[in-house]
Amino acid sequence: MVGEDNDAILESTGRRRFLKATGVGSAVGLAGLTGLGAAQEYPSDDIELIVPWAAGGGTDRTARQLASLAENELDTSVFVTNQTGGSGSAGFRAAANAEADGHTVGVLTVEIATISHLGIADITPDDFDAVMQYNFDPASLTVHEDAPYSTIEEFVSYAEDNPGEIRISNSGIGAIWHLSAAQMAQQVGIDVEHIGYDGGAPATQAVVNGEVEATTASAAEVAPQVQDGPLNMLAVFGEERNDLFPDVPTLREKDIDVTIGAWRGLGVPSGTPDERVQTLNGAFQSVYESDDFQSFMDENGFGLVNRGPEEYGEFMASELDRFEEIVANLGLGPGGDGGTETESGTTTASETTSS
Amino acid sequence: MSVVGNLLQGAAIVYQPFALALIVAGVLIGMTMGSLPGMTATMTVAVLVSFTFGMEAAEGMMLLLGIYGGALYAGSIPAILIRTPGTPSAAATVFDGFPLAERGLAGRAIAVATVASFVGGAVSVVLLAALAPQIASVAIEFGSAEYFALAVFGLTIIASVSGDSLLKGLVSGLLGMLLATVGLDPVLAYPRFSFGFEPLTSGIQFIAVMIGLFGIAEGFLRYQRGIETEQVSQEFTNVIPSRADLSKIRNVVVGSSVAGAFIGAIPGAGGDIASFVTYNEAKRWVEGAAATFGDGDIRGVAAAESGNNASTGGALIPTLTLGIPGDSVTAILIGALMVHGIRPGPGLFQDEPELVYAIFVGFFTVYVVILVFGLVGARYWARLIDFPGKYLWPAIFVLSIVGAFALRGNVLDVWVALGAGALGYVMRVEDYPLAPMVLGLILGPIAEVNLRRSLKLSGGSLEIFYSEPLTLGIFALAAVSLVVPFVQAWRGSNTESA
Repeated sequence: MVGEDNDAILESTGRRRFLKATGVGSAVGLAGLTGLGAAQEYPSDDIELIVPWAAGGGTDRTARQLASLAENELDTSVFVTNQTGGSGSAGFRAAANAEADGHTVGVLTVEIATISHLGIADITPDDFDAVMQYNFDPASLTVHEDAPYSTIEEFVSYAEDNPGEIRISNSGIGAIWHLSAAQMAQQVGIDVEHIGYDGGAPATQAVVNGEVEATTASAAEVAPQVQDGPLNMLAVFGEERNDLFPDVPTLREKDIDVTIGAWRGLGVPSGTPDERVQTLNGAFQSVYESDDFQSFMDENGFGLVNRGPEEYGEFMASELDRFEEIVANLGLGPGGDGGTETESGTTTASETTSS
Repeated sequence: MSVVGNLLQGAAIVYQPFALALIVAGVLIGMTMGSLPGMTATMTVAVLVSFTFGMEAAEGMMLLLGIYGGALYAGSIPAILIRTPGTPSAAATVFDGFPLAERGLAGRAIAVATVASFVGGAVSVVLLAALAPQIASVAIEFGSAEYFALAVFGLTIIASVSGDSLLKGLVSGLLGMLLATVGLDPVLAYPRFSFGFEPLTSGIQFIAVMIGLFGIAEGFLRYQRGIETEQVSQEFTNVIPSRADLSKIRNVVVGSSVAGAFIGAIPGAGGDIASFVTYNEAKRWVEGAAATFGDGDIRGVAAAESGNNASTGGALIPTLTLGIPGDSVTAILIGALMVHGIRPGPGLFQDEPELVYAIFVGFFTVYVVILVFGLVGARYWARLIDFPGKYLWPAIFVLSIVGAFALRGNVLDVWVALGAGALGYVMRVEDYPLAPMVLGLILGPIAEVNLRRSLKLSGGSLEIFYSEPLTLGIFALAAVSLVVPFVQAWRGSNTESA
């Protein structure tokens, strides 16, 4: 029922877009004739928010929240479509190839800055004009409480003494938690094994049952096992400490110059008129600042970080450069490699067990 | 507080008009969606989860659990009626359910599936309430080596679902495993068989293959045979299972319910694996089943349906006690609880006893509602295929295509479904069994990734596969599973000659 509604929506917007496109054509023609050239009213239609990850995941949930709150701001309906596959590339590509008229917005997750280096798809932040960043979830280093180390310093010196013995689980090869672990290891100069799992939950489970020594999933992902279970968080990879774990230091406090994690934001196809980007940013900025959105993010354990169009664009460009180096150092890069099909920062069960 | 006191408190939350209405609504929505091929329990829960954000946590759970149970149950309806499982978990229901419908006994098959689903679900909820921490402590021990062993065990089922020709069964199973290798390799993420075509890097979607292999292929066959001649008129007299039927399925249902709950409790193993394992175990241990399973034995339907619904209560075990989801639906349930500031995990039973017990009572109630709706609705569902074939099959074709597209909004999945339809047609004409292919598709990737991960963890040593008793135990089960069909065949031929 719901799916059919979705299809109906997709189909009708397609038709409407076509009608609108022809309408725009004639409006422009008319404007040209009368020499007025007045700016087209915007938004003149529904706005589609393309989520490159599956319904029910972290990106989907945050995007749906943004969409429903933005409807009042933009005075039009904002609907979410999930276009998944190819480590996010299917959704990114759909958003990048949409008409650059501000009626299609893509949710840009950290993978937009990694998948081109991994050789998965030739799509980068350059294909978009940034609108707004609304989230950042730093990686964390979490180990078993029975381990012979209980601080980040002890962990590092243990790893130095026992090269190759520490195995760090992540949510998938090439996924952000893998790259986070790799950058941390690279920065402190330790030799570790990276073991990929099918999502953050099994990666956490592997530390609980002792299959691996550590994981770099986000703080939210490991929280229950740290608070009431056998896990011990040694450090967070953010700028600041995590509210849930005020006693856990950041890597920077320990003189390890690493800040890394998953992020989410919005972008429109590159070439979208600047005033429309500004309109969208204004609307989503109000949503971001609303109590509803702030409390939603807090309750769900999503980190709040905000950047405007220019800053977010620059940030994505710097991330693109940074990940190029990490991926190259890991020997992943094109020619031998890729990434996996798991959304970062989300609790997902194996895809093969869809019930 | 005592268990009885806790249960009463849970009941006080569930037995309120609004909560009960949510359960009924959830079951109805779940049954509708689950009976549409291509719409899974996971998708339905994912789309509707945002409606629960404005409710109390326990109330929201009632709606979502209703959908979960309802969808898993209703997947059996199209499996029986049109040979197309509504959800992946109902794949094993096809084998005996559809032959029953072909004999005009669809109503009886649905009624049996309903009772089996009810018992499976109810037993799993009781196990959840009584033994959750104990079962969870075993489930968490499942590491990569154990998952590999479990997948091998599952693949041995090919031996017993291959029908007359083991060779054709193996061809079908290997073809399934081969198809599952398309996409990014799970360890090094190298694109395999994608031929530089980007959409293929995310692999062949299992559900799209199922829609094609079963539903579309069946449609092709109908057209070939001439639709009108195929009409079977359905009997509607025995919608509530007869006492004889009930006593016939009793043992199968009880055994499959317990086994299904345990399999569901293993994170990453859901109703699809559970139903195949319970179907196979029933075939192996029930007297005379080896000959009749696959030709419309109600015990086959009962085993698969009690197994997959039992996996739901099982999946809640690690979800609630460890915060580690048992399957993809329970992963979303965790998200739904987190919206209310509740984080499932080891502390949940102390922090939120009312919620936990409301979930137990509510989920049990879900299955009671399913029993009622299922039995009342069976005759109406069965009547659907009394529709003239010239209207029914085109409609199924359209629904199949829509379902394949709705999966991800990706046109590739439609082509995959059509291709799988052609493949399924050829396989049926040439008498290749489809069940091994389904097993290969489900279990091939699990076997591969866990084998390779195990070897990476052990630094290449095979010791990881025989150093733990749990792993050895599962391998032993696999060995038994391989040998028993041969022993049965040998004994069968001995008694015949005697």
